Amino acid sequence: MNKIPVPRLLPMLLPAAFALACLTVVSPALLRQVPMDEVQTFKTSFLGILLEALPFVLVGAILSSLMHLFVSEETLRRWMPKHPVPGILFACVLGLVFPVCECGMIPLIRRMIQKGMPVYMAVVFILSGPILNPVVFSATYMAFRLYPEMVYARMGLAFAVAAAIGAILYLYWKDNPLKHSLARGATQDSNGQGHTPAHGSNKLTAVFIHAADEVFEMGKYLLIGCLLTAGIQAFIAREHLADIGSGPVSAYLFMMGFAFVLSLCSTSDAFVASTFLQTFSGGSLLAFLVFGPMLDFKNMLMLLSVFRTKFVLLLTFLISALVFTGAVLVGTLWL
Amino acid sequence: MNQPLIIRRHYLIRAFILLGFALFIAYLTRSGALYFYIAPRMEPLIRYVPIPLVVMAVCLAYQALFQRSAALCDCERPLSVSGWKNTAVYGLFLLPLLLGSLLPNQELGSFAAAKKGMSLSSPLLASEQLEEIFKAPDPYNTEFAALAQRLYPEPIIEVKPEIFSETIGAIELFQDKFRGKKIRLSGFVYQNEDLIKESKEFVLGRFLVLCCTADSSPFGVIITSDQPISGLAKDAWLEVEGIIEPQTRQGKSMITIKAQRLSAIERPATPYVYPNGDSIQVWDDINR
Repeated sequence: MNKIPVPRLLPMLLPAAFALACLTVVSPALLRQVPMDEVQTFKTSFLGILLEALPFVLVGAILSSLMHLFVSEETLRRWMPKHPVPGILFACVLGLVFPVCECGMIPLIRRMIQKGMPVYMAVVFILSGPILNPVVFSATYMAFRLYPEMVYARMGLAFAVAAAIGAILYLYWKDNPLKHSLARGATQDSNGQGHTPAHGSNKLTAVFIHAADEVFEMGKYLLIGCLLTAGIQAFIAREHLADIGSGPVSAYLFMMGFAFVLSLCSTSDAFVASTFLQTFSGGSLLAFLVFGPMLDFKNMLMLLSVFRTKFVLLLTFLISALVFTGAVLVGTLWL
Repeated sequence: MNQPLIIRRHYLIRAFILLGFALFIAYLTRSGALYFYIAPRMEPLIRYVPIPLVVMAVCLAYQALFQRSAALCDCERPLSVSGWKNTAVYGLFLLPLLLGSLLPNQELGSFAAAKKGMSLSSPLLASEQLEEIFKAPDPYNTEFAALAQRLYPEPIIEVKPEIFSETIGAIELFQDKFRGKKIRLSGFVYQNEDLIKESKEFVLGRFLVLCCTADSSPFGVIITSDQPISGLAKDAWLEVEGIIEPQTRQGKSMITIKAQRLSAIERPATPYVYPNGDSIQVWDDINR
């Protein structure tokens, strides 16, 4: 390999430190110019979302790293059901025993795909895991205590949408959906050739180095997602948003878009949804509750870090279409 | 793609960032400022986050400083050599640390309440008005009724922060029975012309938080007075003692409190309130 320009960060440190020092000295004057209310609200929301997601990201990264180093492809293949129907069902109930938030799920799933988990099963798990689990069940139940049908509708619709998308992918998607660079890593691994990653002699060190890699890989997407979400929460009044979706159909679209933009964790979104009970129909709230955990700003960016853009777009389309149809159906027939 | 120097540098920067996060979270937990961002029920999870972070940081630093160059490799996940890209990515990771350390920790206040829309009813009751539409069995009302029974005999109804939204909810639900009773509660001052009459009223608000500040919903009670109230600072923390007066405003019935005594208080260590799975149990525990 020829010489690649090395980033010279070191020479920049001195001016940067000087600039920082100047900034600290004049900062009281400057800070008074900044709209502090906006900044503080932004900061509080931003750190809130980030701190909430962090434990899950770490758990996901460490599990994924353990799996990478200690679980061989053969073992994984032995666990997995071969037939698609039990496969999809298996992936749907995986969330019951493994209740992590979607932020923790994505690195783990990538590793499992690299190790040979079928794509359709992985996607079913990504979609159903954040909803079909006991923590979310009880949170939703608590938020909609007067309205328990909502809990069952949420679980049912999530199951149906995830299973349907799994079936569609099983039938029509044959490529490797992973990003090019990641897919290549996988083939190298499975051939047992190429450069063996000898991160030190110690396997325990390797676990944490890998986990740190995952954290930085996922972290940047998580951070961008948190920034956007916090920005929207701090700068846009909720009434303005709610004005948009007042028609019967636009309410569904609005609530789905709202779920996408807010990027709430699936354990707490039910509560936010329940505050909209007066303004929106039950069906549109159902759309909010099912769509949000499956797809939002934060996790779409994280999906993009793992899967190819084409695949993410297909997934986006399928989720939107199915959740919309399902929610409208359930909303008019039952809720 | 294997350039030991670049890998070492990346690992070192990452080790510092992880260490920074670990210190920041440890500081938040120690100082209690964590409650400005997340609900106490999330705290046990976050409290231990610094441990894996520090272990990761130490492993990375060890690799960067002492590992033989031959053993360093980034072929699985190539590290970027572009200076701008690296600055941008690591800057992104530094942003929360900078925000957290440079700006003072502050709870959500009037500004956020205005953006989110201040509710004049306990968020737990939000679905109450739709009762006719949703003919669901109603275990929740039973809980509120049981709570109301316990509140009613009190000479002064103290709204405990632990069951704040439940208590307000119970009083709201049976507001006619509670007319004229004495109540004491605390919250922050929120003033918004849409909700209140000129200078004689203000809203005493609280944020109800489930997991973190992103899912918070502000709600409050209108405090009324005979004389104009002056000298109230926005977001100041007050304890209010007064008489419950249900009123109908803009077509909605709501409780208001006629203030008898206002006193400034310190901001509580946990400024937000949280929904409680079993408010009766909590009430009995507090009053045992």
